[in-house]
Amino acid sequence: MAATYGYTGKILRVNLTTGKISTDDTLKYKDFIGGEGMAMKIMWDEVAPGVTPYAPENKIVFGTGPLCGTGVPCSGRTNITSLLPSSPFHGVSSSHMGGYFATELKYSGWDMIVVEGKAANPVWLRIEDDKVKIEDARWMWGKGIFDTQAMVASFMGKEAQVAAIGQAGENLVNLSVIRTGSSHSAGGHGGVMGSKNLKAIGVKGTGSVKIAGDRKAWAELDKLMMSVIGANNQMVVPSSPQPWAEFNDKSSRWTGRKGLYWGAANPPVETGECDPHDMQSVGLRTMKAVFDFGPQAEKYTVRMGGCSHCPIRCHSQLKVPQLSKYGMDEYVSNTCMGWFSPRGVMFKGIKAFDGNSEADAAVVGPAIGAKLADDYGVWCNYGQIGRDLQYAYETGLLKKVLPADEYASIPWEKLEKGDATFLIDFYERVAFKKGEFSHIADGTYWLAERWKFGDDFWNGKVYKVWSRQGFPVHHSNEAGGQVGALISCFSNRDAQNHSHMNFIGSKLPIALQKEIAGEIFGSPDALDAPSDYKPMNEYKARFVKWSLGRSMLHNSLTVCNWMWPMSVSPLKERKYRGDTGLEAKFYSLATGIQLSEKELDEAAARCFTLFRAITQRQMGQKDLRVAHDQTTEWVTHAEKGKDGKEIPQFTKGTIAMEEKDMELGRTLVYREFGWDEKTGAPTRACLEKYGMADVAQDLASRGLLPV
Amino acid sequence: MSDSTEKRETILSKDQTRRDFLKMTGTGLAGAFVALTLGCATTVRTREGNELRVWATPQGALVHDPNRCVGCKRCEAACTVRNDGKASAYISRIKVSRNQNFGVAGVSAAYAKADGQLGNFRIVAETCRQCEKPACGVACPTGALSTDKKTGARVVNAKLCVGCGACHDACPWNLPTVDAETRKSTKCLVCDGDPTCAKNCPTGAIRYLPYAEAEKLLWGAEVVSGATA
Repeated sequence: MAATYGYTGKILRVNLTTGKISTDDTLKYKDFIGGEGMAMKIMWDEVAPGVTPYAPENKIVFGTGPLCGTGVPCSGRTNITSLLPSSPFHGVSSSHMGGYFATELKYSGWDMIVVEGKAANPVWLRIEDDKVKIEDARWMWGKGIFDTQAMVASFMGKEAQVAAIGQAGENLVNLSVIRTGSSHSAGGHGGVMGSKNLKAIGVKGTGSVKIAGDRKAWAELDKLMMSVIGANNQMVVPSSPQPWAEFNDKSSRWTGRKGLYWGAANPPVETGECDPHDMQSVGLRTMKAVFDFGPQAEKYTVRMGGCSHCPIRCHSQLKVPQLSKYGMDEYVSNTCMGWFSPRGVMFKGIKAFDGNSEADAAVVGPAIGAKLADDYGVWCNYGQIGRDLQYAYETGLLKKVLPADEYASIPWEKLEKGDATFLIDFYERVAFKKGEFSHIADGTYWLAERWKFGDDFWNGKVYKVWSRQGFPVHHSNEAGGQVGALISCFSNRDAQNHSHMNFIGSKLPIALQKEIAGEIFGSPDALDAPSDYKPMNEYKARFVKWSLGRSMLHNSLTVCNWMWPMSVSPLKERKYRGDTGLEAKFYSLATGIQLSEKELDEAAARCFTLFRAITQRQMGQKDLRVAHDQTTEWVTHAEKGKDGKEIPQFTKGTIAMEEKDMELGRTLVYREFGWDEKTGAPTRACLEKYGMADVAQDLASRGLLPV
Repeated sequence: MSDSTEKRETILSKDQTRRDFLKMTGTGLAGAFVALTLGCATTVRTREGNELRVWATPQGALVHDPNRCVGCKRCEAACTVRNDGKASAYISRIKVSRNQNFGVAGVSAAYAKADGQLGNFRIVAETCRQCEKPACGVACPTGALSTDKKTGARVVNAKLCVGCGACHDACPWNLPTVDAETRKSTKCLVCDGDPTCAKNCPTGAIRYLPYAEAEKLLWGAEVVSGATA
């Protein structure tokens, strides 16, 4: 095979029904970039509408892209695409995990793994360079994810990186994860692996990812990238005054400062000033533990961790000795939702318990939950599971739907008292599908159907459900008004989109952000000040398309959409400008395939349009505006102020959207993509422009193509 | 072998005098007879007629601090892109990946309390110590390992390397690694005295220290690998 650059050039295909292992050519899919884009093409071509997530005919695609493994900052992510069990129509969906699995897969010579079929008995997949074997996993079945990783590595050697499911995935819990390393989860597809009797995938590689371009040019580009990179979520302003910084903002994740330490390191490591010109402190600037928990987390922090080739360490790695009391190992790691979702299950709050002060309990409680969820492999539907529980409990519904003895066996008094050991009982019931209660992890749509949640649930702002499909807000209307709100309308699960957040959450002054927005999207009106929104306009629609496209691009390259794109920088001498062309520059140098920023954005739009077409084919609906893109009611209803009076939309102090304005927003976004402006369905002209005449033909044959 | 011997003699006559060599090595082998040299790795003969290979003292060596390391492996990618035009963990001259999850000791039943990402989060990178008497160089059957003239680092001459792996086997830490794609050995060459791994470490966990200083840190009683600082 000819040398390939960026890409390894090979896709591994495994049929667990027949045991057949084969190789496919990556570059035949190169119009779809990699990772998520290529996975969408495979799902379109090979998984027929009507296939259900747990059927052997469903496929699950583990994908990396051409930048993964090259050393590009924040390029350690694995994209996983399959049908989503928690979706009402089993919509195709992607989950993602960080860690070190993806780079090891590249170094073993594979860009992607496509798994289909179902093994007769539990198996695990062993990949050592081009040697691939399906191994017996009967002895591993039933184990948690931590032990499973160690068991696989004991066969393969300590270098192995492992992705695995826990008991939740084995038991086909809809809300379950695939996980790798200490704390990197891909939420939603654990059950798909379970349904295939696939417990784990171990990879170990002695190969490489080759760079097509000049080594010095690569080093220069990397240097540029490292100068514009910020802290977690591309926040470029520190949280406290610094000698080098013009601005500061208390809510920033750039928390490093003098006097703040990784307190459990030996000896403690000071995070320090973190001048952005100092390349040796980039990894110290995001001290996420104190951001997520507060100052009491400092003493528990061993260090910050994260993913391959990422200098921004967003996972807090803690030593929590109190965990030993519950027979757990004291080291625990996670970030954001990994901590917040157990806190969400404890919706009455976590208070002093088991001898922990309230301040310590605020760390110990979520640590217990994170450890359990990560070992069992339970997903939270982006924090929604806690709010589902809250509704069912507080409305008295749970008492009605659970058998009396089961209800009585749940330690509600712990929940009421804020004793986080409630979580031990909670996650066990969920992971082992014990009793009626375990349906709490069916996913919000299926749960609401089963337990007959009322409209007060769907329409209640407190429960944060964004769509009747059963997924919640995720940087939605609170994030750039219509920009975030519309971004949240196109996915088949929570939007998982940070393209916009990594810009508007930068903590730079709004006037400066608007100036930069003007340069990228054609007018400063693309961005409004927080909670001071103006009606929809075409520039916001461009911002939406760009955000959706970049997220698809990042999941295809694969780089982290929790850091990229680089719209801004921490450098005054750059006037705080980033460089939105960095993805294309890295792509061209890595692969030798020259693509401009615009061309790469077009490729991403092609992938996103294909995702749209799969969704449409699965739903069998002509009108996606009505069938797919709507929100729950609270989103477009005026909020009440402290005085009890409604605050009119588009006045200062409210994030509420307005119905007609949102419909206009949809129209403008459809126009940006070239989709049908009435129904939001991809048109023949649009599909043909992207080189997907076959897709147009298929949709036409089903009567789904707009006339 | 005879070809390479001839090359060595040529290099000696062109580039180096005995006085230069002794000054450089600082070994003070009074009366020793310089027979051959290859770069700066030199074979000397004692008065008694025994043949010894003597290696110039390196200027410096890398030292890694597990307490500051965040396990991002930017060092490995930077090392191999600079030196090989491709990113790879396996042939990286600084070894993080192999110890990442389970530490130097590897998988154990007590993994959750041992070193590594799946344990106590302590990540130990192994770095080349540029040993005074490098086992890799002594073991090399083709004389492919020599001392870099500028930095004193022990480096592989890819033209002479036959990819046999003797260097890998001889090194107590198995640091030299035969590239499976080129069949040539790779080992730390300290990048002309400005190691790429250290420059690309985002937490300052990797330092290139003067040799004497590095030696103290690398060979102390507490040291289990190429680390601690």
